[in-house]
Amino acid sequence: MNPVKRLFDSQRHRFAKGGRFEKYFFLFENIESVFFAPAVVTAAVPHVRDSLDVKRFMFLVIVALLPHYAFGIFNVGYQSHRASGLPLDFWPMVWVGLKTVVPMVAVTYAVGYFWEALFATVRKHEISEGLFVTCALFPLTLPPTQPFWQVALGISFGIVIGKEIFGGTGRNFLNPALTGRAFLYFAYPAQTSGDAVWTVLAAGRVAPVDAFTGATPLAVAQAVESGSIVQAWSEAGYSLPTLFFGLYPDSIGASCTLLCILGALFLITVGVADYRIICGDILGFLAAGTLLNLVASPAASPYLGLNPFYHLMVGGAAFGIAYMTTDPVSAPALTGARWVYGFMIGMLTVVIRVFNPAFPEGIGIVILFMNCFAPLLDEIQLKARLRKRIPNVR
Amino acid sequence: MHLAKGYNLKLSGRPLPELEELPTPRQVAAVAARLRFVKPRLAVNVGNRVKVGSLLFSDKSRPEVQFRSPGGGTVSAVNFGPRRRLQEVVITLDAEEEPEEFPRISKAEFASIDRRRLIDLIIGGGLWPLIRELPFREAARPETTPPEIFVYLDNLDPFHPLPQVYLDGQGDLLAFGLRVLERLAEKPPVVTACRENAERLANLKDRVNRPFTGNYPAHDPGVMLYRTKTSAAENHAWFIEGQDLLLIAELLKSGRFPTGRVVTLGGPAATRPGHFRTRIGAPLAALTDGRTAVGEVRLVAGGVLTGNPAPRDSHLGLFEKALVLLPEGNTSGDFLGWTLPGAQTPSYSRAFLSSFRRRREFPLDCNRHGGLRACIQCNFCTQVCPVDILPQLTYKAILAGEVEESLDHGLLDCVECGLCSLVCPSKIELLKTLGQAREQFYEEMI
Repeated sequence: MNPVKRLFDSQRHRFAKGGRFEKYFFLFENIESVFFAPAVVTAAVPHVRDSLDVKRFMFLVIVALLPHYAFGIFNVGYQSHRASGLPLDFWPMVWVGLKTVVPMVAVTYAVGYFWEALFATVRKHEISEGLFVTCALFPLTLPPTQPFWQVALGISFGIVIGKEIFGGTGRNFLNPALTGRAFLYFAYPAQTSGDAVWTVLAAGRVAPVDAFTGATPLAVAQAVESGSIVQAWSEAGYSLPTLFFGLYPDSIGASCTLLCILGALFLITVGVADYRIICGDILGFLAAGTLLNLVASPAASPYLGLNPFYHLMVGGAAFGIAYMTTDPVSAPALTGARWVYGFMIGMLTVVIRVFNPAFPEGIGIVILFMNCFAPLLDEIQLKARLRKRIPNVR
Repeated sequence: MHLAKGYNLKLSGRPLPELEELPTPRQVAAVAARLRFVKPRLAVNVGNRVKVGSLLFSDKSRPEVQFRSPGGGTVSAVNFGPRRRLQEVVITLDAEEEPEEFPRISKAEFASIDRRRLIDLIIGGGLWPLIRELPFREAARPETTPPEIFVYLDNLDPFHPLPQVYLDGQGDLLAFGLRVLERLAEKPPVVTACRENAERLANLKDRVNRPFTGNYPAHDPGVMLYRTKTSAAENHAWFIEGQDLLLIAELLKSGRFPTGRVVTLGGPAATRPGHFRTRIGAPLAALTDGRTAVGEVRLVAGGVLTGNPAPRDSHLGLFEKALVLLPEGNTSGDFLGWTLPGAQTPSYSRAFLSSFRRRREFPLDCNRHGGLRACIQCNFCTQVCPVDILPQLTYKAILAGEVEESLDHGLLDCVECGLCSLVCPSKIELLKTLGQAREQFYEEMI
């Protein structure tokens, strides 16, 4: 017998009715169900049920995110060594990345799990695995210099206000990870925006070496007043491959477009993400970018003339498209509405990036904004759909 | 018709198409336990002598819904369930069973018979409940004329008798039955069967006028109606299953209450799955004895997805032609099972490696495979629903008390195929909620 199984079996009586920790039975059950699927059988027709459960569903998202963590750990170290003028040796860079990222993830999971377990125990239901996805997404969207207490506060806001007060995973209308991220953005702008927050400096350093620019590509683009943005990027050291592979100062693991594409393909293949949202997003980005290209005049900001494909490649666009917009809970339910939802997210993100100087990156806010419109989009399509039905009301 | 939606369960234990004759059981029963929309009024007591075809019980509010004895002998037990609901009337069979005599119709008589007289003959013979009415699937209302009658020879719910097995040598009886239905509807009935099966039997091919292909539940008359109807007037179509039509034809032709039935035994826990000829109301043990795997086994009477659990000592109901044996599966899963690739884990979704393999059949069990969660809008239920309901939204409308809205969603089009509950990763009892709402609506309507 599995030793873990033996441990659970030997402790079960303490949590059963009449046991010393009776109050914490749900907590016990929740922890056990992580290791072993419960021996619960069907009680109603149909008597067989599919093998897929929410645990597996959410686990697949985490699988898709793991490469981002590997990349994020490397990139945090790489940028840190570049900014601090240290030699670019692989293992020391990875060590810096590990030192930065692992504690942040640990804080996120500890605090997130605390809230979820608290609500689950009080409400007497099982812990929903959506939590683990939220806690996996959240650190990837943060700058690597975020203080731990802010990380804890951000995930608390995301889990409690973004999700639990509405009843937990499945009943939330906002993406909890983004809710937490947005909270930090507005509550602590000094630690979440600007050029300095995206790079961890070596101990003892107060400023990066002169050759290093800490500005993200989006900040660089916004600062360009005349000339070509692509040229400004290449002057800042952001060549096309650099942008595609995400090797620039940015939030921890969101910048690598390649991994986002692979992750999105994986999630579509296993049936977790809806291709309609992703395609809608991409179309929205390209449509808005192209439209701006058409109206761009020499006098206007050069941002208008940027090739729309670059919009998909820089900042959090690809990450947002692959993992945030595809969250099925906060997206619309109906297929047509999902196209519109994605398209609007793409359009609005480009508009905010180009026209709003307060937001170098807009996708996070835009996704939350469109989350609010998801029920409306559903309602519109539902009405149209029901009108087509031949009534059957006796 | 082709049904691209729906889903075929990859279940092992498929019955072989060979027919085995079972010996006459010592007792048979009329089962009331799993009948919907019937409030039985008992007509016999323990110790009464009954003939084959004697009245055992009928519906309290609808006298035409009668259930007659599938055997002749002595009423040896009348079993009641919770709240004194009638479960079964058990008859111990005599060596020589005496039949009740019903009027028989000759060919010449049939040509000129009145529709009302034909209906009365079927009601009098106790077989009227076999003809059912959409959308609730209770016994048809004889005072109305149906817009359509569907006869479905194939039932895709695993595992029902194959038409090529139970119709073998019954071509004339089927033809007569179809003529009876033509008289009832005043138009030819719609005969459906799986295209593959229809082509296997020469005398079937011409009878089947609407062959179907595609996934379960393409056979279902409700699905067929939904896919073909052009107006709300067609909603109250009647339907009957192929084997049940043979019973009506036999009753009218011979003047005797028919007692034979072809049933299947199948499922992962059936050691010798197959087709069997036995009696209506035969004890389940007659099928399962010596053909059941060891371990805890659940008996599901009437198909895996639409059938109900039946106690081991109960009997086959009038409508039940399939008995499926499923392993109970009340064991906890593998260590961190959710992280495994799942090459042996069957699923509707593509979340396991098994989806990318060609294997067709898996030994499914009754484990729920996961904890109850809130809906995460994965849309699987919408993707499988054969009648284009949005089950997750309809379910929310029902729970919010919005009856009108749920009806607009197509609650009455629901064929209760069970696929939404089957595929739900949150393990929400969608079918139960929709089914209860339908029942409640039915109760309020009458």
